[in-house]
Amino acid sequence: MINFLTLQASFGSLLLGAAASLKIAILALIIGVTGGTLLALILLYGNRLVKIFGNIYITIVRGTPMLVQLITLYYVLPSFGIMISAVGAAILAIGLNSMAYISQIIQSGIQAVGRGQIEAAQTLGFTRMQAVRFIILPQAFRTVFPALGNECITLIKDSSLASVIGVAELTHQGSIIMSRTYDALTIYAGVALIYLIMTSVASLGLYFLERKLQYVKN
Amino acid sequence: MLKIKDLSKSINHKLIISKLNLQVARGQIAVLLGASGVGKSTLLRILNNLEKFDSGQIELDGKLLDLTQANKTHVTGLVFQHFNLFENLTVLQNITLALEQVLKQPKELVQNTAVDLLKRYELLDKANLMVSQLSGGQKQRLAIARTLAVKPTVVCLDEPTSALDPLLTSYVAQNIKELSEQGYIVLVATHDISLLEKLPCTINLMQQGQIIASVQAHDFFADQNSYPALANFIAGK
Repeated sequence: MINFLTLQASFGSLLLGAAASLKIAILALIIGVTGGTLLALILLYGNRLVKIFGNIYITIVRGTPMLVQLITLYYVLPSFGIMISAVGAAILAIGLNSMAYISQIIQSGIQAVGRGQIEAAQTLGFTRMQAVRFIILPQAFRTVFPALGNECITLIKDSSLASVIGVAELTHQGSIIMSRTYDALTIYAGVALIYLIMTSVASLGLYFLERKLQYVKN
Repeated sequence: MLKIKDLSKSINHKLIISKLNLQVARGQIAVLLGASGVGKSTLLRILNNLEKFDSGQIELDGKLLDLTQANKTHVTGLVFQHFNLFENLTVLQNITLALEQVLKQPKELVQNTAVDLLKRYELLDKANLMVSQLSGGQKQRLAIARTLAVKPTVVCLDEPTSALDPLLTSYVAQNIKELSEQGYIVLVATHDISLLEKLPCTINLMQQGQIIASVQAHDFFADQNSYPALANFIAGK
């Protein structure tokens, strides 16, 4: 049975963990969206060489487990003299992973923008970069917004992987409390509930944002 | 004066435009009439640097036109068949964006140009709406306004009535007439006969990438029997 007293006593620590999880997710999302957009543009408009590198990157990221990427990044970077905190490694690894997937999402969004929009921009004298910035990307983002929303939810859950390198995020906080109380059911039910609340609130926020974008469109 | 000399263009080894010649003076309207696939739209796309041509030359006011620069210098402008208005922008922004970003005009000038055009095309009260909130006729007026904003010399309209309610044809004809009165060189690709009847234009009948007949609209409609090729096309023969 769930012990509410244990849950109440652990609530503060779990909330601190939840805040750390959110921080990782948000910063990873920023890396993912920024890097993913750049990568999408490179894959669509870059020269052959950078396209090859871009595709290799995506193949590696998609073909290996995120957990392995996280551990590799955390333990490999210091051997190149780059000292990185566990939180930093988690944000970077999850962000870089997300970047590969987001680049594919944005690429499909750009390709869905009608050719006529690009031609219209061309006849008005816009350079390709101007057309991309002012016309194509804003439309592409609107199209792929639901898919980006899903990625955002995934990142909140993926942040739990940071626990394996000792980041004091929600799952890790749960493990610490569990090792003290031995009440796995209560603690992990609490942890799961907090994840559920975070993802639900994010879903709701994204839903309203999407509706707002749709309203503007129609 | 726009002079097109011996222009040819093939797509996938198929000759779309074959040694085409055409002259249009400022203030004149040249209608390109013909069935689908005869090269009307391709010619307009070539003039707007959306397609390259294989041979021939294009002159404007006696000077050879470098079409690769035509977009940047805004010599030509195109009102697309399906308007291709920027869907992520408001009505006003559709006009102002090129003025700000391409022509780098000062804000005040941009605003004045946009307001003038929106007034002229009865869209001022729609300035802050999104494009998707406009009716078909309003979209076309905005497409014309957007093209005129960058002050081209040659205005091309691709099938200007095909995406609109037939009742709007007179209104579209009036808009096109006004363009010629303002001194633009106007080229219209269409197969809408009702539009021809309402336009003071030269009708250029195209077949297999060439202009096979060229006649003033009022001459043709006064005596159709004298122009059998055109009369047959219009009669659907």
